[in-house]
Amino acid sequence: MNITNQLTQLHNSGKPYIIYKSNKGFNLYTDFSKKIILNNKNIYSFLNKKKKIKKSKNTDLFIGFFGYELLNNLIGIKIPKQKNINLPKGIFYKPEIKISLPNNLNYRDDNCAKKKNNFKININKKSYSKIFDKFKKKIKSGETYQIKICTKYKTISKINPLDFFCRLSKTNLAPEAFMIKDKNYSIISCSPENLVTKKGSLITTKPIAGTVKKNKNMNKIKALNYFKKNIKETKEHNMIVDMERNDLSRICKVGTVKLSKAKVVEEYKDLFHYVSLIKGKLKKNTKNIDVIKAMMPGGSVIGCPKINTLNLLNNQEKENRNIYTGSFGYIKFNGDMRFNIIIRSILNFKNISEISVASGVVVDSNVQHEFNENYIKAKALIDLFK
Amino acid sequence: MIYLIDHNDSFTHNVVHQFSLFDKVECDNYNNISKNKLEKASAIVLSPGPGSPKSYPITSKIYRKFKGKKKIIGICLGFQQILFCEGAKIVEQKKIYHGFQSNIQVISDKSLFKKGKKFKVGRYHSLKLKEPFKIKDFEITMRCLESKVAMSFENNKNKIYGFQFHPESFLTINGNLLIKKILSA
Repeated sequence: MNITNQLTQLHNSGKPYIIYKSNKGFNLYTDFSKKIILNNKNIYSFLNKKKKIKKSKNTDLFIGFFGYELLNNLIGIKIPKQKNINLPKGIFYKPEIKISLPNNLNYRDDNCAKKKNNFKININKKSYSKIFDKFKKKIKSGETYQIKICTKYKTISKINPLDFFCRLSKTNLAPEAFMIKDKNYSIISCSPENLVTKKGSLITTKPIAGTVKKNKNMNKIKALNYFKKNIKETKEHNMIVDMERNDLSRICKVGTVKLSKAKVVEEYKDLFHYVSLIKGKLKKNTKNIDVIKAMMPGGSVIGCPKINTLNLLNNQEKENRNIYTGSFGYIKFNGDMRFNIIIRSILNFKNISEISVASGVVVDSNVQHEFNENYIKAKALIDLFK
Repeated sequence: MIYLIDHNDSFTHNVVHQFSLFDKVECDNYNNISKNKLEKASAIVLSPGPGSPKSYPITSKIYRKFKGKKKIIGICLGFQQILFCEGAKIVEQKKIYHGFQSNIQVISDKSLFKKGKKFKVGRYHSLKLKEPFKIKDFEITMRCLESKVAMSFENNKNKIYGFQFHPESFLTINGNLLIKKILSA
């Protein structure tokens, strides 16, 4: 049986499974022997789990996600009462099967209900404007240097996540793309951003700040010039580099945190990203929980400085972010890990699909531009519903 | 040992790593200060942070207590905090510098650094020192070449130093040398 048929069969069987982008294609994880629903208490024992393995297997790992609220609570930040759909704060799975898939995923479901675009936004332009002005004042008085306001688009719909994910991968083969299909929820994401890669004592993070669409007139060199000339993007990027250096410095040995790629352009299928790569060597006896607490929630999607900005955001936002700006990835039994930042994603839970987007308020951002930017980011995903 | 007082900033640990190149560093949050460590420290560093000096009365108290007794170094908010304690006004500026690389210059011959020397530095500040500013023994020693905003002060008599920019930022060229010189002063 070929891979495509195998995938189709798995999908039709109704069994939960996860797909995560790999270097060459995708990895498929399924046949889950354990499912762990995380909360503020059991996360400690979950992360401190140590397993001795006689013979290591490629399924010796837990794969899943940490939601935004859980990551806040972990660093001592409480979230005021918000509208909440009661999605678990985090879910991890222990797979027993791992299968490699090619980049070219062929699956279509023409029967899958595609509705007209009837997404509703939770913050209209007028309210967005107000929030925007309020935060600009906070920037002027120095309470935050940059802040990312989240807006949500929601619609009632049943979706076929595999169909969505395959179509999304055709237009945007993102390096941190993933999908989760479980019985009562699914997530589809074309996240471009790696937050933590840990192998042994080596740890890296790869923040993105700056994205431009590819077209005939935009090649790699022009993209670099575009980013360099754009003072707003450059300043945002600088801030994130220093913030990520800081987060790594919490857990790394003195003198080992290095900017190994500073502000370079990476080329993807349809986009250019302005990225940096920061490396460090972990202090001895650093635990998994220390890594998660130091690095998450990822700074580039929140703003800076982290603690004050999170408090400002949480007091402003009326709806729980759920998975948005949380992290998806895996922890191997030997402590190695890979986690992304959950952005550019669709969460389907209780037959409601939600897409969250955010863009940054810095002192020289423009409200019209940022509001539109949010819509453009959401539109790529909303279009999948057509 | 250097005792670093953190004001909940996202750059504090860059400062920790930078100072750790020269001495042992202990770092605690401003609302969780250890008296013991304060007493033991050979130098106290006030970290960058959000907000204005008014919001950190505990830090002001520490500054007043140890002024003249220990070397004190302030960075960004820490720079403002020290000047605020000395009676200066800290005000909003029209142009805001967050993630900005600027050219600055040593403008005083009373500085540990050579007058006329230029540096490229990283800046993250909404607020600035209101001038004219005149306080005994405090000398503005560096300014932004473009905006002329005060970028460092030195009080070599009491060994109090402050940088409005961020010596620990990747945008600051040779930041380690600046710190080394201040620490050996």
